[in-house]
Amino acid sequence: MRFNRRRVLRASGVALVLPWLDAFHAEAATGRLQQPIRRMVCICAPLGFYAPDFFPQQTGRDYEVTPHLQTLQQHRDNFTVISGLMHTGGSPGFAHQATASFLTGAEGAGRPGFRNSISLDQIAAEQIGEQTRFPTLTLSGEGLGLAWTRTGAQIPADNSPSKVFARMFLKGAQDEVRAQQQKLQLGRSILDDVRAQAARLQGTLGSSDRDKLEEYLTSVRDLERRLQIEEQWLTRPLPIVAATPPVDISNPSDLIGRTRLLFELTQLALQTDSTRLVTIMMQGGTAAPPIPGVSLGHHDLSHHGRDPQKLEQLRLIEQETLKTVGQLLTKLRGTQEQDSNLLERTTVFLGSNLGDASSHSVRNLPVLLAGGGFRHGQHLAFDPDNPPPLCNLFVSMLQRLGLETTTFGNATGTLTGLELA
Amino acid sequence: MCMKQGVKRCRLVAIWLLLPGLVAAAPIPQSRPDGVPETAAVAPFLREHCERCHSGPAPEGQFTLPTLTPSRQSDFSLWLKVRNQLRHGTMPPAAEPQPQTEPRTQVVAEISHWLADWQAAVNRQQGRTVLRRLNRSEYVNTIRDLLEVDIELKDLLPENPAEPGFDTTSQEQHVSPYLMQNYLNAAERAIDAAIASRPRPDVQNKRFDIRDERTVKPKGSVYRHLEDGVAIFSSWVSANIQVTLWQFQSRVRGRYRFRISGYGFQTEKPVVFHVMVGPMNAAAQQDLVGYFDVAANEPEVVEFELSMEPAHTIRIIADKLGAIPPDVEKVGAENYKGPGLVIQWVDIEGPLLSDWPPSSHTRLFGTLPQHRLPGNPARYEVVSEKPIEDAEQILRRFMKRAFRRPVTEPEVEQCLTRVRAELSAGASFETAVRAGLKSVLMSPQFLFLQEQPGRLDDYALASRLSYFLWSSMPDDTLLELAAQNRLREPAVLQQQTERLLNDPRARAFTDSFTGQWLGLRAIDATMPDPMLYPEYDDILKVSSVQESRLFFDTVLRENLSVTNFVRSDFAMLNGRLAEHYGITGVQGMDFRKVPLPADSHRGGVLTMASVLKVTANGTTTSPILRGAWVLDRILGTPPPRPNVAVEAIEPDIRGATTIRQQLARHRDTPACAGCHRLIDPPGFALENFDVIGGWRDQYRSLGTGEPAVVNGRRQRFLHGPVVESADQLSDGRAFSSLNEFRGLLLQNPQQLARAMAEKLLAYGTGAEVGEADQRELDRIVSRLAEQNFGFRSLIHEMVQSEIFQHK
Repeated sequence: MRFNRRRVLRASGVALVLPWLDAFHAEAATGRLQQPIRRMVCICAPLGFYAPDFFPQQTGRDYEVTPHLQTLQQHRDNFTVISGLMHTGGSPGFAHQATASFLTGAEGAGRPGFRNSISLDQIAAEQIGEQTRFPTLTLSGEGLGLAWTRTGAQIPADNSPSKVFARMFLKGAQDEVRAQQQKLQLGRSILDDVRAQAARLQGTLGSSDRDKLEEYLTSVRDLERRLQIEEQWLTRPLPIVAATPPVDISNPSDLIGRTRLLFELTQLALQTDSTRLVTIMMQGGTAAPPIPGVSLGHHDLSHHGRDPQKLEQLRLIEQETLKTVGQLLTKLRGTQEQDSNLLERTTVFLGSNLGDASSHSVRNLPVLLAGGGFRHGQHLAFDPDNPPPLCNLFVSMLQRLGLETTTFGNATGTLTGLELA
Repeated sequence: MCMKQGVKRCRLVAIWLLLPGLVAAAPIPQSRPDGVPETAAVAPFLREHCERCHSGPAPEGQFTLPTLTPSRQSDFSLWLKVRNQLRHGTMPPAAEPQPQTEPRTQVVAEISHWLADWQAAVNRQQGRTVLRRLNRSEYVNTIRDLLEVDIELKDLLPENPAEPGFDTTSQEQHVSPYLMQNYLNAAERAIDAAIASRPRPDVQNKRFDIRDERTVKPKGSVYRHLEDGVAIFSSWVSANIQVTLWQFQSRVRGRYRFRISGYGFQTEKPVVFHVMVGPMNAAAQQDLVGYFDVAANEPEVVEFELSMEPAHTIRIIADKLGAIPPDVEKVGAENYKGPGLVIQWVDIEGPLLSDWPPSSHTRLFGTLPQHRLPGNPARYEVVSEKPIEDAEQILRRFMKRAFRRPVTEPEVEQCLTRVRAELSAGASFETAVRAGLKSVLMSPQFLFLQEQPGRLDDYALASRLSYFLWSSMPDDTLLELAAQNRLREPAVLQQQTERLLNDPRARAFTDSFTGQWLGLRAIDATMPDPMLYPEYDDILKVSSVQESRLFFDTVLRENLSVTNFVRSDFAMLNGRLAEHYGITGVQGMDFRKVPLPADSHRGGVLTMASVLKVTANGTTTSPILRGAWVLDRILGTPPPRPNVAVEAIEPDIRGATTIRQQLARHRDTPACAGCHRLIDPPGFALENFDVIGGWRDQYRSLGTGEPAVVNGRRQRFLHGPVVESADQLSDGRAFSSLNEFRGLLLQNPQQLARAMAEKLLAYGTGAEVGEADQRELDRIVSRLAEQNFGFRSLIHEMVQSEIFQHK
């Protein structure tokens, strides 16, 4: 669909000033009283955080705030900082490649023959994805994201906040909707055709080829189903939001600015129940970000070798990053939903594939869990030499979404010490 | 556990083969083809040297010896590990009693034979290469050749998977509903571009005078208006101080020809500039067209052609003039005495059309007439008197090329059913044909390369050859030879390989293969620290990648020995690289072949700025990363990856300790020494090259050290400790310098050729070279030895090999 400027203005112009959710619940009230909607946001900081600035010395509730956590101090009671965790499959030689398994927990990312598995958000989407217009949002400031399909294929990430905004909130003209409908229908018929073509091919193939073709067929079937769902949503009214459409940031070094836009979009998507599952990759680039006092790229600074000048600059970048996370939490907490707020109903997970970027260590990963109705306000410390798997936390998060599951990756259960409020 | 080995070997293969789902009923290898005697060496050897540590509840390194009656595919990789450890001599650890060379070699040979037999049986059933999908660039190129369109599609398709391996490797390729959605969108865009549904576009052909550009102000700026053009004294892209051709924008997608006239001003040296292309909005992504230079005082015309999307323009940016805009503004452009770039005019012609409707259109629709669409006079549609018949003809022609082989009747029928359905639902002829075309582009026959186990038929061979050398579909000549069953004739195949290599499309091979083999795709992964490496700039980066490609092309074109990749007596250089390498007498942006003196430490890929950059992190070099790179990319013996428990070395840029002192820890720890005596030495040999590929005798430091002065200017970095590059290879051969190290590598050209052959085969067949391929690989290398290890000969040997011609 294409949107001209006038249409964008129209969409934002008629925005309701009333809390949008009232409109939403007026619609919902026609049905039965709803259970609270549970949501999940997973964020990866692929270059991690400098541990001494991040982790408190003390454990429990009375920890002394660290420079990094200072930026989130106003949310202290709404998050838990978790230390000591280790993830599956990470190794220093493949520390960066491990972003591939960050939400999947698959073994051996980066190694020859590596086959990824399904990511956390997609597992959840299989059960709750069809309840919203978009089963999931896969966002990234630049390049690739965090979501993977069951067949181990990477889901392309959306890099453009303005395009995602348009998809979620801007309605095309009547003829565009019709054209879109025709396109979806034609798409489905074509997929139907190619399934028949594939069946013709299948008889002639050996067994390993058949596995590959099966993957293709599964994808075709899944897409057919998605197009069908998309078509149903096409005729239902789009949510109306008071926000102005975001303007994409073209400066490739301003990744934090891009992340901020993605976070704002996340809040809108959750508030309007356009989706309940969002993953966000916060890329760390090679060029110096536009932050006063920073002259080097994030990646190069992360290899600081304890050089005080580099650490000083790295600190500026990391705190700027955490500030945007804080802004997300503020926005979610400030959004009322029934007698609660959006943060209470959204589990926000922030973590990294790297424990120490400078040495490419994958131990003692920085993890922060906010909202979701857990009991927060503490530093949950595990022994880095004998850590529980990060996947245990993932099981806790899936259960919070209402999924009846006890396993994910190498999980041995839920994360001990993490309780519901 | 202890049995007669000969009997067991057969049983072992049998058990593997009988596994359901793995291999149905492969014939059990009865005898060794090469007559190596049976041996019962394995079991007692393992018991003596391995079992004590690698068994029980807590095995060393969490590695338990695989069972001698292997039953799973994973056992195959475990045995592979055992064999490789023994072959490299990395196990048993140095502190343990060492086996004699002879039993060790025998055991390695024995295990290798099991592995080869096992894999050969699988290959006979399945082929080496599982169903291979067109990767991103193959898809884009295929669409370009199939539909004769020149359009941007990369934004619609997911990036190629990251390392390891090549993006042609089918094991690594996956399909998802998202990818299928992207294919739907890409097909639509491509078909739209191929069909001429608008009237013939007007061709612009105009000379633009830079003095008319509103941003090129005559006063108070960095520009001076002259009689014959505009002098530019400085450019600053981040502040948008650059010459944008606002007067021009491409009205439609197409190819445009540019001619820029300019000269160097107030200087005696050539002046460099670069041109970017992109949307009018300066903040949007701009793509580099290239770097150019013009002579001093003598107007020169730079000419290039570009494929442009609609509403794009170009920008001209002067380089290396030495002044930033405030310097010029301070004295005023009128009074400024420093060097400048004069741009006189820019001629632009385009879109370049030979026919209308274009061949992309007529190739599909022939001479079928077009009518204006009622209600939309600017839009045309193809019409037909006999829609079904015409559609059938169109689709038959198209499918044959799209499927890269003759089509079957049911396949055509399937496609026609769609067309009929659309027509009967009231769609126009063109709409119905578009639906048919789209369904062809979505079908697995188009998206996958179709190969049957065993020897490839001529059509599959045609595709394999063209995707190898062109990253695109076979052309009519190849398909015609396939139709005559002649492509497999060695002489014909040889001739076709030559033809493909000499075609401009072979550039895809150079770019894609070097991009992956040498890791050039990662050239932007790091940004050298500007405090440590102030001389690094974008021209150097772009030039360094170009150097690698041109060097590769030269070795290929002139059929030079593969040893040139390790050391050559020439380099492909332009002025910027020559300056970087300390070679005099080369100026300007044009590349040329430059002879190197015998004692030069340049020549070959190991000493190229591009390779040295992608093997470093922007701040420091690591002999481990570079050593592992040499072992993998050049010698074909990738080292084992580090244990999870091992923390990487933290680089120290404070100048206190050298990497050699830090790495000494590895050599002193038995658990590390096994691998690091393999990995580190080649890395140390390259230690005289810094992160941007400059030569250094001392490390640069930001902490302690002596003051550094370059060209009379005090630098922000300091001279740190002295670099030591001497070391000894794991086999004991010592070297004192880079050149001695290269001399040692050159003693074994067979190994270099073999490594190269493995990479080429993996790239060209879509599957890693495995255990079962080793004998054929031996044959390729020995034949190549008779041809002076010529690189072009290697391509021919490879194409003629059993490996290449089998699925």
